[in-house]
Amino acid sequence: MSADPAVYFEDIPVGEEYASPGRTVTEADVVIFAGLSGDYNVLHTDAEHMKASQFGERIAHGLLGLSIQQGLLDRVVTAQVTGPLAAVKWKFKGPIKIGDTIHVEAQVTAKRDGEQPGWGVVTVARRVVNQRGEVVQEGETDHLVGRRPERA
Amino acid sequence: MTPSQPASRVYFEDVRTGMPLETPGMTVTETHAALFNALSATRPGEPGTIPDLLPLCLSSGLGWRVPQPPLVVLAFMGFEWRFLKPTRIGDTIRSVSKTVAKRSMKEGGIVVEERSILNQHDEVVQSGRLTLLVAKRPAA
Repeated sequence: MSADPAVYFEDIPVGEEYASPGRTVTEADVVIFAGLSGDYNVLHTDAEHMKASQFGERIAHGLLGLSIQQGLLDRVVTAQVTGPLAAVKWKFKGPIKIGDTIHVEAQVTAKRDGEQPGWGVVTVARRVVNQRGEVVQEGETDHLVGRRPERA
Repeated sequence: MTPSQPASRVYFEDVRTGMPLETPGMTVTETHAALFNALSATRPGEPGTIPDLLPLCLSSGLGWRVPQPPLVVLAFMGFEWRFLKPTRIGDTIRSVSKTVAKRSMKEGGIVVEERSILNQHDEVVQSGRLTLLVAKRPAA
């Protein structure tokens, strides 16, 4: 699974909190994400059209924000805490504009048995916060985490 | 006679529930994975695998390539999503979606879309529901 020192489902404490570094979302990020995803919606690509919109300018793709926060949290947690995704529930609460700086605040909120033996599910609640302290995205991610092998 | 113009945009009023739309396929390559990993700075998974969030991101672009004019999306409100099977480099994914609910609001309307991502073996690899805010048809 990973090169990190062994951390198993049993080792992850419910209630543990994490805060990521910040990252400024740039025009380049938005252009690359449009090219990669193929989502060229005017919301993200037409500066002139967006002048007249409620946002006043282009905004980052919501899924770009989701992807960036995943990378930000990966920088401060062991691999196991953000292991393979089982489920995501997510709300886009406000725009991320070009030049905004976002970080992630997260907490392990629940642990439960996985559907397959040998695996548990860890739930991480996350908030994506901008430079003004506004929560722009929030939700929960469920991750599959291996259980400590039983000794023979 | 002037030929009738096909609708160039799909507004809230035009959205029909229950009508499935299927996108073309896309082969997910090592380049997609490398670009995604570099952009997001997520921790790379096992060699040969596609990052969990990438098929969802690709489905957002594939969604514009269905046989209907583009939906006038004002905002992506949220989603619930399940990751059922891994996607590997070389797999070809496509997405099938339909509107399952719509609700008129003061500004625009809420559209709930059910979406599944399938691979070349017709296995559902990811699926869930997305909530969009869609513009109403401007007054003529």
